[in-house]
Amino acid sequence: MTVFHFFNCAILTFGPHAVYYAATPLSEYDTLGTSIKAAIVYLVTALVKLVCLATFLKVSESDSFDPYQELLKALIGFVDVAGLYFALTQLTHRNISQNHKFQAVGLGWAFADSVLHRLAPLWVGARGLEFTWDYILQGLEANANLILSLSLAALGSLMWLRKNKPKTLIPIIYTCAGIVATMPSILSYLRQGLGWQLPKVIGFELFTSLAMASISWQLFAICQRPSS
Amino acid sequence: MRVCVTMESSGRKTTGVLDPTMYTASMTAAVVLIVLAACADLCDGVTVVDVYRLVQYDLAGVPFGSRIAYLNHHAASSLFSPGSGGGAGIGGNSVTADLSRTVLILPLRELNLALIREYIGQRKILGGLLFLLPSIFNPENIDYEDGADQNPAKDVSWDILVELEQLLIRANIPFPVYFAFEQDNINAVLVDVKRNDVSGQPATATTGGYKLVVAAPEPRKLGSPTITNIQGWLPGLKADGDSNQLPTIAIVASYDTFGASPALSVGSDSNGSGIIALLEIARLFSILYSNPRMRGRYNLLFGLTSGGPYNYNGTRKWLHRFDQRLRESIEYAICLNNIGSSGNELWVHVSKPPDNAYVKQMFEGISSVADELGLNVGLKHKKINISNSRVAWEHEQFSRLRVTAATLSELSFAPDLLERTGGLSDNRHVIDESSLVQRIKLIAESLARHIYSLDGKNINVFADNSSLAVNPSYVRSWLDLLSTTPRVAPFLSRNDPLIMALTKELTEHTVDVNVQHEVLDGLFTFYDSTSSKLHIYQVASVTFDLLLLLALGSYFIILFSFLVITTRGLDDLISIFRRPPSRKVKSA
Repeated sequence: MTVFHFFNCAILTFGPHAVYYAATPLSEYDTLGTSIKAAIVYLVTALVKLVCLATFLKVSESDSFDPYQELLKALIGFVDVAGLYFALTQLTHRNISQNHKFQAVGLGWAFADSVLHRLAPLWVGARGLEFTWDYILQGLEANANLILSLSLAALGSLMWLRKNKPKTLIPIIYTCAGIVATMPSILSYLRQGLGWQLPKVIGFELFTSLAMASISWQLFAICQRPSS
Repeated sequence: MRVCVTMESSGRKTTGVLDPTMYTASMTAAVVLIVLAACADLCDGVTVVDVYRLVQYDLAGVPFGSRIAYLNHHAASSLFSPGSGGGAGIGGNSVTADLSRTVLILPLRELNLALIREYIGQRKILGGLLFLLPSIFNPENIDYEDGADQNPAKDVSWDILVELEQLLIRANIPFPVYFAFEQDNINAVLVDVKRNDVSGQPATATTGGYKLVVAAPEPRKLGSPTITNIQGWLPGLKADGDSNQLPTIAIVASYDTFGASPALSVGSDSNGSGIIALLEIARLFSILYSNPRMRGRYNLLFGLTSGGPYNYNGTRKWLHRFDQRLRESIEYAICLNNIGSSGNELWVHVSKPPDNAYVKQMFEGISSVADELGLNVGLKHKKINISNSRVAWEHEQFSRLRVTAATLSELSFAPDLLERTGGLSDNRHVIDESSLVQRIKLIAESLARHIYSLDGKNINVFADNSSLAVNPSYVRSWLDLLSTTPRVAPFLSRNDPLIMALTKELTEHTVDVNVQHEVLDGLFTFYDSTSSKLHIYQVASVTFDLLLLLALGSYFIILFSFLVITTRGLDDLISIFRRPPSRKVKSA
């Protein structure tokens, strides 16, 4: 029965990535290579972040919210953005349109993130006899993360790949990108500083990810109109 | 790994899913995964409780006690399924739930003993039984809140526990039976289980609830259990020119116990009180005998025997090791048994008829001192039946070898086999220290008056506030030690710390200390696995996961359709499902 639960949580965590790949035109254009390259870039980025965290962060005794530490973590979080920039611009992709490029990169990014952060706890915890809601919440968080990664990749591609953007939209694009990039710090502030419970935090994350996704979709559509 | 660290018996779990330190941990995922897969079993469980198993033994080949140690079933709290009514009888009525795969958690305070008796008597199969005892029965719980409200005789749970114990050790129970003490975590689990039961959902694999797991190995027989007797001498002083051997007075107490749970059988009264009395008397007389001019014309022999609950098997073997001359030189023996609880009544049990000269002399000596101390001592005579192997009192083993002996005890009638042998209900709180001190004084004083021929003279040898007074702190410290040490003989090895401690104590006060190891007679066979840890898991049902799977399936279908519609258009979605028919149309 508990392996069943593990299976359920696993497909909740990793299923949406597969569904996304199958449902959108990504599968038709065979963009798997791009996704895999993005995943590798994510791994390298995570390693760099780890080294930075280990070097600059001191281990705090209490579980409270330390603004200075969080600021440092947020700054290190921007390494993420740099990694995404590298994945979007520097890697050589096959001839695929921008539309599909950001989707493939975002997908690979989110998949690597899920595997790295969620596979180990899932394997260890969900197979045991004890039942908790944690793993289902973790799966929902993986879904939210996928949406956020796609939004960030979309905004990133708007920022760095598209040359002709309406001038009025540029600040909006940058602010949205900033919000999405600092999402992890916001969430940790909510959990530790304000003391929100896990379901509440994940609900908030889902809501904001959907909001951000719709905003970036709109932005992308607007920016696409002049060129199409 | 944060996941492992946060699982503890405090009951609250927070897994740091969003914690930034998870970044660090996950980076070594490859190596850690392998390690974690191995230790996945160790990190499980919400509540871990110490539990103690019911004794398992064979008597002359007939099995008794709980025969199984491994437990892995769902928890329930009552013998009836809700809806069948509280008072429905069991016999032949199929309204009660099928409990063969359920563990019943029964707190002692709410125990319906008649029901349990019926259930066990009809040999019905349960998944298991877990009795929750109030923490006052926990041997590790020895605090000194002396007060009238602590008087055990007035507490109903004591009587219920005694009866329950007797019921359980005389039954052959084919499922595991465990004892645990009430604590916050297990009380909370019980409240939850009761609530689930009331709502009409007996816990099974499909409806969730709590699962109790005791991962105990199969119990094995204890081969050739050793019983150890310890003896010490205080030799007296021969008068000049007297070549005859000095007479001996023996003071004997058995030190081992037997109860429903061998890991909890501390036997403070049966026979912790006897051991303490013997050690204190040895100490006092060693002070007296240390001065050669103060030595009496009697040798004193102190014997700590084992095998008491098993018809005083150890005493018999101990006596058989003596040669005939020594046995004949024993003028009389006093056996100490159950002298620790409060009250003014004591009994001297003898097997020789009361008008026997020795018996008369001994009894008068004791009663005269008793009168001075305000105690009531009565004489009880019970003939021994040589053909009956049951030995109810220790002095009977002496009487069978024609040695005059008596047992001093607060019990007025002989206990049956395995009764009053220091079980679950016999712990520190049953003892009244001042009573015990007074009785030690009684025995010591009557011995001294006999040894030094002080009868009739108004001399108090062990007067209070003298250097020879009975020492209450000595009594208390030994009481504390014995009340936290279970002493079931087959589980005591040859060099058990308790045996070493008793030997050392006797060596300090007596000479010629001899430790003899014997093998317990083959009539009793014991099995191990007496204590374990219980893991309580809160489990979700299979139906829950099935529903979850259904929800996930529909979520994915909706997600797929949504994505296809938004990125490729609605026509594409329809065409995915319409393609095969259109090809058929084409080929036709």
